[in-house]
Amino acid sequence: MKPFLEVKECVKHYGAIRAVDGVSLSVAPGEIVGVIGPNGSGKTTLFNSILGQIKPTSGRMQFCGEDITGMSPLKLARRGIGRTFQTLQVFGKLSLRDNLIAAAQEFRGTLFGRLFAAPDVGLGREADEMIERFRLEQVAHLPAGSLSYGQQKLIDIAMAFMPRPRLVLLDEPCAGVNPALVEQLRDLLLELNQAQGGSFVVIEHNMDFIMHLCPRVICMVEGKVLAEGKPEEVQSDGAVLEAYLGN
Amino acid sequence: MAVVAIALAPFALKNYGIYLLTLWCVYVMAGMGLNLTVGYAGQMSIGHAAFLGIGAYTAAILMKMGVAFYLVLPAAALLCFVMGLALGFPALRVQHHYLAFATLGFNVLVYLFIRNEEWLTGGTFGVSGIQRPKPFGFSLDGSAPFFWFTYVSTILLALILFWLIRSPWGRAFAALRDNPIRAESLGVNIMAYTLLAFAIGAAFAGIAGAYFAALVQFIEPGPFHLITSLMMLLMVIVGGSARFFGPMLGAAIVILLPEWLRFMKDWYLVIFGLAVVALMIWLPGGLLSIPDRLRLRKA
Repeated sequence: MKPFLEVKECVKHYGAIRAVDGVSLSVAPGEIVGVIGPNGSGKTTLFNSILGQIKPTSGRMQFCGEDITGMSPLKLARRGIGRTFQTLQVFGKLSLRDNLIAAAQEFRGTLFGRLFAAPDVGLGREADEMIERFRLEQVAHLPAGSLSYGQQKLIDIAMAFMPRPRLVLLDEPCAGVNPALVEQLRDLLLELNQAQGGSFVVIEHNMDFIMHLCPRVICMVEGKVLAEGKPEEVQSDGAVLEAYLGN
Repeated sequence: MAVVAIALAPFALKNYGIYLLTLWCVYVMAGMGLNLTVGYAGQMSIGHAAFLGIGAYTAAILMKMGVAFYLVLPAAALLCFVMGLALGFPALRVQHHYLAFATLGFNVLVYLFIRNEEWLTGGTFGVSGIQRPKPFGFSLDGSAPFFWFTYVSTILLALILFWLIRSPWGRAFAALRDNPIRAESLGVNIMAYTLLAFAIGAAFAGIAGAYFAALVQFIEPGPFHLITSLMMLLMVIVGGSARFFGPMLGAAIVILLPEWLRFMKDWYLVIFGLAVVALMIWLPGGLLSIPDRLRLRKA
């Protein structure tokens, strides 16, 4: 199958530090790929290079056959590429519901058309469904910034899915989420993958989460891909164990 | 209730009181625009008086040429909209205090232009003999009729702002303010909304400037200097930034309170200054944040 996202020899240097050092990666339509690796292995830098947050030193990225190298986050969003962030990134003073509407409204009509559109741009029902899916009904009308860390993390994830993206890059979705919710979050992501049909690339340190979510896992160490394959293969790879646990 | 009470106020006030009330309307119009730029869209501007000046001089010059007020008003708004767009460009590259200095520089430039370009603006001699508009032939030379005319215009402008901030644009402005990086990753055109926030805010000030020129009937560069920009920012912050009624309350305090404190003679500015300092320390969210704070304390 032709790859949906293809990253070829991505390199990002910060002076003498090779944060990402020749990483190649491909993602098929509808596929969920996990990216694991110790802290500082270059996972987030790889994400930021793909997503236009930072300019890669070299390498090419293609999405649906189009070269997207160095493209701005705005242009990538318009091509159907969404993301979540490692740290909390919500619109703190807007209500949870407005956060979700804001996440998708720019994909409805033109800039000037939206000025005269209904306040919810016809996204109210979709926002309510997403709120229900994430079980956040009780806090739907509260300012997002006033909610707990875990709740804001869920909002961040829900926001990424509101525009029905074709590809979502999730950066540590479980970080700070109550362990009791992690399983629910995994089921939610699988459900969204089925419902929306998008592809996901997921960075995560929670091995149990990633092993049950991703049919294919990539392990990065020191900016390079150390191992790639099925979760159980990567998990039992000697080099991966050494990278995580040491000799 | 308050809207009706203010409308009836001229019956209980002398000419100077009505003048102050009309001036309050002018600053409410400009303050609403600044609130959009600073409060709702999260940008920084300490150059808003420049747009008040551009609006006032546009109106004064055009009205001296015999152009009708109903044409002068959109001309002043449009010119300020375009100038606001231009001022928005630095905001795409710099933020916070750097942007504050960029807007400050713009204010100084406009001030110097209107002070030095005598052939157009009359320089320090200003423009005098500005006629008041005559809607449908009805004279607004009296202070009360001009107040009502300005007051109705302020209400219309407030309704436009209310509609704007409730529209998807309002939500996009809030997204830009709260988290521009996240907003861009969700398809929000940061550049377009930043420029629009400056341009619309400037257009409001341009309209206010046209009413200011018609109110005082003589304009000179003084009222459009940096100090007025700082006072306008103070109005927004004292009332409550990003709160719809913030500039209305803020303008009342900044314009009217010093007048009420005049019985204190030389001390009134000291008291006013101390009151502002105290407010910034204990109520950084402005006076309209008091109910929220009380609610939080109870909860």
